Amino acid sequence: MRMPLKMRLYYAIGRYLPFLKISPPNVDRQATLTLRPGRNALLTWEKSETGGTMLTVPQNEKAGRITKAMAKWLRAPTEKRVELDEVGGYVWELCDGSHTVETIVQKTGREYKMNRREAEVSVTMFLQMLHERNFIGFYKKTKKS
Amino acid sequence: MAVQVQKQKVFEAAEAEETPQTDTVVGWQGIRFQLPPEWNVSAFSMDRDNGSLRVDAPGSSSLTVQLRWMNAAKPQREGPPTAYHYLAPLFRKWLRRPEPAVPKTDLKANIERILKETAKTAKKAKSTFESSLRTEKLEGPDDERTAINFSWTGVGRGQGKIWQCSVCNRIVIAQVVGLSKDQAAISAVASQLFATLHDHTADGFDLWALYDLQIGIPEDFRLEEQKLLSGYLHLTFARGGEKIIVDRWGLANVTRKKFSLADWFANNAFVSLKRLASDEETIYDHDAVHYAGKLSLFARLRLLRDAKTSLRRFPTRYEGGIWECADSNKLYAVQVLHSRKTEGLWDEVTDRCVCH
Repeated sequence: MRMPLKMRLYYAIGRYLPFLKISPPNVDRQATLTLRPGRNALLTWEKSETGGTMLTVPQNEKAGRITKAMAKWLRAPTEKRVELDEVGGYVWELCDGSHTVETIVQKTGREYKMNRREAEVSVTMFLQMLHERNFIGFYKKTKKS
Repeated sequence: MAVQVQKQKVFEAAEAEETPQTDTVVGWQGIRFQLPPEWNVSAFSMDRDNGSLRVDAPGSSSLTVQLRWMNAAKPQREGPPTAYHYLAPLFRKWLRRPEPAVPKTDLKANIERILKETAKTAKKAKSTFESSLRTEKLEGPDDERTAINFSWTGVGRGQGKIWQCSVCNRIVIAQVVGLSKDQAAISAVASQLFATLHDHTADGFDLWALYDLQIGIPEDFRLEEQKLLSGYLHLTFARGGEKIIVDRWGLANVTRKKFSLADWFANNAFVSLKRLASDEETIYDHDAVHYAGKLSLFARLRLLRDAKTSLRRFPTRYEGGIWECADSNKLYAVQVLHSRKTEGLWDEVTDRCVCH
């Protein structure tokens, strides 16, 4: 998954100054498949007539009072709408925090008769895109849970 | 919640059991074999005479199948080609002299060289290296293969075979590599690999098979272009100016909601389909759209621009078709650009395409 800008800068420094011994952690594929994607609670979504899924993303939720006042004065939109296609909608519905990435890959592969590799590449890329836009987060299974 | 999750897991396991998994068929550059289900090609070369192929096990398994092949009749040259290299075959053809006999390769020396390189890697990793070679033997239905089996342990473990085929003059090295603890799995995969591995074809059609696509292409066509994307495979083969273009799209049920077969094909065909005769037919019990006719002047000029050095077998006709396989949820398109002499090529290729 894409790292925050602060971390990217931090690791860029490590790349150019190798004696500092700063390197990004190795991402284990197996560990990634056990993560559980969950939807951002601020988003609302509904099925559209065409089979897709329409996400409504509220804007300026975390903005300060001045920004909110400016947005209101400039009549900036208060929400953004994103349409997912049928397959995207299917994956989105499975992002409820109870399914692991592995399960989503398997289910999508079975539903749309995709090769395991094809399904894994498509689903992980899609989840990565959703994560970059803060539409979903990932739960990591710990020993306690 | 825990009970719900448990139930869900049981349901998923039951679902997985319902769908029987078939063995993976791999075909590339005339070499074909079978492996356990869900194995996938991860690296390949485009060269037929001297190339390699790697197929990986699914999931987190470290097993891989590695293949290398070279043409014993076309030994690798050291340095740039000389005038002799270009002129000798022409003179041979003109004087009607036979091709020079293919020298018998020292397989043992070849495999020892490879094992030496593997030993170097083991030495770097400070692990002990052991290898064993079996005696040379003849194999195949007509004893056409001279083969040596080998195995090694070092950084991991490997079991393989090297052979030279007297029919296609290929030298093939195939091995299954894994971790030291995977001995049983390596043996099982190796026995399946060596039992099903073929390095030439009997009917003149090479099997090209990867990611669940299987299609037979005449053996004198060479792979010119490939695109292997998730959900879309594209292979272009060429023989002189003639072309065979194979496309496969996934998620057909989603695609077909917006487009008809004809519209989808018109958007993706190699040439404009406007002036071609079309008819609806059935391929493997699937509805198909078929187009045939002469290539337009514009298409011929485009092909002339792409023809780099030779105008041999310059295509003047087009035949193409698309069908949707509901069983595999995929769209298949086969297009053939052929010369007047090569009629019926589209039917021959389509008959050898396994869609489900």
